[in-house]
Amino acid sequence: MSTKYRVIAGISAACGLLLAASGAAHAEVEPGGWSSESPGFKVQERGCGQVDNLTFTLTCSTASGDQRAERRYDTYNGGTHQFEGYFRVTSMGGTRISLKQTFNDTDGDAGPYFMLAVERGGRLYAVHGGDTLSNAGTVGATVRVNTVHDVGEEHRTYINGSLKHTVDSPGGSFYDKFGAYRTSSGNGPATVVWSNVKFWRK
Amino acid sequence: MSGSVRALAAAVLAVAGLSGISGCASPDAPREPRTTGTVLTVTRVSPVDAKLSWHGKAPGAAGRIVEFATEPRGPWTILTYAPLSQTTYRHPDLIPETHFSYRVRPYYGPASRPVDVALPKGAFTKAEQQEEHTWAPPRTIRRAGVRTSPARGPAATPTDLRAKIMHANGIRFTWTDHAEGERGYLLEDRPRGDDSFRPVAVLDPDINSFGLITLPNEKRASYRVRPVTYGERSNIARLTTGERPAGRG
Repeated sequence: MSTKYRVIAGISAACGLLLAASGAAHAEVEPGGWSSESPGFKVQERGCGQVDNLTFTLTCSTASGDQRAERRYDTYNGGTHQFEGYFRVTSMGGTRISLKQTFNDTDGDAGPYFMLAVERGGRLYAVHGGDTLSNAGTVGATVRVNTVHDVGEEHRTYINGSLKHTVDSPGGSFYDKFGAYRTSSGNGPATVVWSNVKFWRK
Repeated sequence: MSGSVRALAAAVLAVAGLSGISGCASPDAPREPRTTGTVLTVTRVSPVDAKLSWHGKAPGAAGRIVEFATEPRGPWTILTYAPLSQTTYRHPDLIPETHFSYRVRPYYGPASRPVDVALPKGAFTKAEQQEEHTWAPPRTIRRAGVRTSPARGPAATPTDLRAKIMHANGIRFTWTDHAEGERGYLLEDRPRGDDSFRPVAVLDPDINSFGLITLPNEKRASYRVRPVTYGERSNIARLTTGERPAGRG
């Protein structure tokens, strides 16, 4: 191996260590004490929903019934949970598609608790209350989502690093879902590609 | 992390810091040059608000992208496409007690001649809402005999941009792609009364057909497309946010 290539190989190895070390040390956001976790999930396809790894498609414009393509992660009980993921709406012929949800899985209170949705034109909004969170959901643009759920206290949503939504949280059991999900007033077609999805807890 | 690994990581971080991390290519930027043409600074204007400022020339650029990450290696996320005249950006209400990294890069690519579109009156009807819109997804229509050139040069200018009105809130755009090596295409619009164009869709390389569902303020607007390549990135500017102030969020 020539000196030049040895130097390159050395830098590459060092960069690899740097990336591994920095990934472990700085991946999560907000103050420390987080532990990485890999909750299990089930793929859910309803109606015209289709899932291909991290590509979620609603192939129809049907404005009624269950039209969903998503991953439903394992239920958690108490604690603080962080989700991070990047989505890209690669096509959207319809409108008002939910992208990420935190569901309440508590007996007697079960149901959607927080739902992030996109409207045609790129408006991101909270389905409950309708607050506009951002206009970053333009077709083709990659958007970063972080949610921090302190069960029994608060649920915070960051879009592209900025706090955009805060809601009080009851105690109980919850789970994360993401993909493409027709809201009650929306319809496909739509294709959403997620990437770099990570979870932490403390 | 063990002590020895932490020490090695610290040494590598120090070396990387001296080189602006540019020597460690991030997965999304394997072909980027590592020198800088733009100097970026970031200032914490409150515990959770950042203000970015930059200077430097970028001859021939269409504008600059502003990107952020919370890990040194990325992934990097584009915050905005800034016109060339813009030299500051405010990133507000940041995640508290978190490391933020920023960089800016000029983007290049010749824009097509604009087309003006006047849509029929009316909102997105229920019937239209329920159409399949099979014309809308981005796609590549292969055309034989089209000459292509490096995306930054004038010969890569898209031609034959056509806007077909599909309904009162839908336009299908098609064009001839003359670019090679582009990182993607931007569809830009300038609603009537606005001063400048802004991206309304970010499309993959080689796309030359896309259907836009319009907003209410886009009944009359000009549209154009451009292939995009990125230029030299700036230095990486970093800050660590403070505690979330009481009453914020």
